[in-house]
Amino acid sequence: MPYEIHRRDLIRIAAAAALAGPAANAAPAAVEPPKFFTPAEFALLDELTEMIVPTDEHSPGARAAKVAAYIDMRVAEAFETKEKETWRAGLKLVDALSAKMHGRPFLEAASGERVAVLTRMAEHEKNPKTPEEVFFRELKRATVRGYYTSKIGIHQDIEYQGNTMLDEFVGYEVT
Amino acid sequence: MFLPAEKSGEVDLKKTYDAVIVGSGAAGGMAAHVLTSHGMQVLLLEAGKKLNINKELRSMEWPYDHPRRGDMPPDCHALSGREYAIRNPPYAQGSPYKHVYSYVEDGNGSDYAKDIVVDEKDHPFTGTRYAWVRARCLGGKTNIWGRLALRLSDYDFKAASHDGYGEDWPISYADLAPYYDKVDLYLGISGHKENLPHLPDGLFQRATRLTPAEVQLRASLARMGRVLTPYRAGVTTDGLKHNKYRSRCYGRGACDRRVGGCDIHAAFDSPTGLIFPALDTGNLALRTNATVFEVTVDKNTGKASGVSFIDTDTGKTYAAKGRSVLLGASTLESARLLLLSKSTLYPNGMANSSGHVGHNFCEHFMGPGVYGLVKDRVGKPRTLDDGRPGSFYLARFRNLSDRHSKFIRGYGFEGDSGTKMFPDNAYGTPGFGAAYKKHVRDYAGAFIGMGGFGEVLPRYENYVDLDPSVKDRWGVPVLRFHYRFGDNEKKMAADMADSAREMFEAASIEVLAVNREILTEGYSIHELGTSRMGTDPKTSVVNQFQQCHDVKNLLVVDGSTHVSASCQNPTWTIMALCWRSCDRLADELKKGNV
Repeated sequence: MPYEIHRRDLIRIAAAAALAGPAANAAPAAVEPPKFFTPAEFALLDELTEMIVPTDEHSPGARAAKVAAYIDMRVAEAFETKEKETWRAGLKLVDALSAKMHGRPFLEAASGERVAVLTRMAEHEKNPKTPEEVFFRELKRATVRGYYTSKIGIHQDIEYQGNTMLDEFVGYEVT
Repeated sequence: MFLPAEKSGEVDLKKTYDAVIVGSGAAGGMAAHVLTSHGMQVLLLEAGKKLNINKELRSMEWPYDHPRRGDMPPDCHALSGREYAIRNPPYAQGSPYKHVYSYVEDGNGSDYAKDIVVDEKDHPFTGTRYAWVRARCLGGKTNIWGRLALRLSDYDFKAASHDGYGEDWPISYADLAPYYDKVDLYLGISGHKENLPHLPDGLFQRATRLTPAEVQLRASLARMGRVLTPYRAGVTTDGLKHNKYRSRCYGRGACDRRVGGCDIHAAFDSPTGLIFPALDTGNLALRTNATVFEVTVDKNTGKASGVSFIDTDTGKTYAAKGRSVLLGASTLESARLLLLSKSTLYPNGMANSSGHVGHNFCEHFMGPGVYGLVKDRVGKPRTLDDGRPGSFYLARFRNLSDRHSKFIRGYGFEGDSGTKMFPDNAYGTPGFGAAYKKHVRDYAGAFIGMGGFGEVLPRYENYVDLDPSVKDRWGVPVLRFHYRFGDNEKKMAADMADSAREMFEAASIEVLAVNREILTEGYSIHELGTSRMGTDPKTSVVNQFQQCHDVKNLLVVDGSTHVSASCQNPTWTIMALCWRSCDRLADELKKGNV
């Protein structure tokens, strides 16, 4: 429960910040309401992406990189309604699995319990079988794509040095 | 000066041009350059549109500055490798999407080429499976090509003499070498001299450099008598003083994130490399959105009199007249055009008394390759590895001095290593959380991979013809494919996978994956040989100067005329052959011989 309140507060603060103008938009959550997901679904998605690529001592994670907002945008405009259904159903599966394992929805579970849920979902990543496992793969694929194409992913995490004009090629000359 | 020329030359359809050229890619562009430089009056017809290519490619746009991180809009679909393998043409049939594109639009950065590549809905084809990538716009596929610029040698031109299969080319390396030199100097090529008889050196500008992993592999291969060389790229790395439309390469490295293509035109493309300079001579008239559907015949002489074309904007048809007609519409489209040009004089299509038009269709197959990890590179400080137009090429080593017991001909590898903007290992690394994230980061620059390009033997029974009922958006009959890889290709593919693994292991690269599967026919985008050259009009379509045996003032100047595919990428050879043929044609036109 405390977590949920915390999330709602953040969204409220963010909305206020957005209204206050560009100078004050430093809150790390979505500044616009989600286009496809409900606020509750969005909060769950945001937490899942952050658990997949978290902030660590090296660089900020998926939440700071607004990966959930990226996924929300792509799902909102998805051409196939099946894709939208898959995402909505997938998030329900996460809560259902959490309820089954720990007796409460994912965001109400303790941090260790959440890790246990995601670990279960990631168990057969290479060859997913259950609907939860299939959804994890899609969730991770979208998170990876969103994070590593973001400003934070490219510049702060991977520290990519290219896409710049060079006088000389870098590397070893063949002699 | 990167702006495309705006003037297109005035097109006068009442005039009889010295030459009418169909297609504006590597072949058509080269024909326009050579003929206009000889003072010929030339009309160039391109089926596609004229694009502001800089605006399409936006080479340095960051993924996060694009609304979909480089992906196409949601109503567009790119065929996946799997779709090609399990479905049958026409691939767009029954698709709910508004536009269906070929696989080159799949994956990251696909939004940038969607105006360049054709929509399968407008351009269907039938028959056997084929990943047929077509670009309809000024410059064609040269706007997005892979840039590997290799020469053929007498191991290729005289391959039949070496192993007894098929036909020799009617030319040898000595005939073509001066024209490869001309192409190198006029367009610019980057590479390192290796003195290999089977992969002749060019007149190279500054070579690109290798990553530590590539240096390690090169050294190991040298001990096996094999050669890994910096990517021989059709890219000007030192600049071209004679061309104001092209910049030298600045190692920006977006080359593979935009389905190829270069918005400063350091990589060769036909518009800035050939067509704009040809327009500046005042001898070239250009019309885009002009889809040629027939070569017209002078009934009295049997010669080509010009072409008929559809204006794709208005649907109206027009005729253009020429003392000569040159087809550079691409291997398969040029064959289609000859087959479409039926008349009482040429009931099987033009230049087809041999019945060989559309046949002896060949290419390179792809798929087998290896992917590995260089452990020393794990956790090392980040290096800049993708700021180059290509990484490495591993030259052919099979069936040169020895004879393999299971297959004839050979293959080469294209490969890549080091850090890229997007860490591909993020998808395959299992798990989640801080440990996962650190693993992705530490390993991101430590991978190396390479994939083979193998020669597909030309076979008469591999061919295209016209579908009797299916037509494209403009009502023109489409091609029907009768084309499959054979036994030699399958055995070569197995060896390709085995040798790739051996070479990585010998270089102490940890092998993570070996791919043994051949990709669907067409995947290399190197289709060749539907109007092969030769000395015998009964078994070939054109002579060594790409003139049709049956119709002397009709030339086929693209990859159609290649007698065999070799395993080297064909663009540079297409342009060298075309230059040679157009020098000869200009001479003959001046003498009044055609």
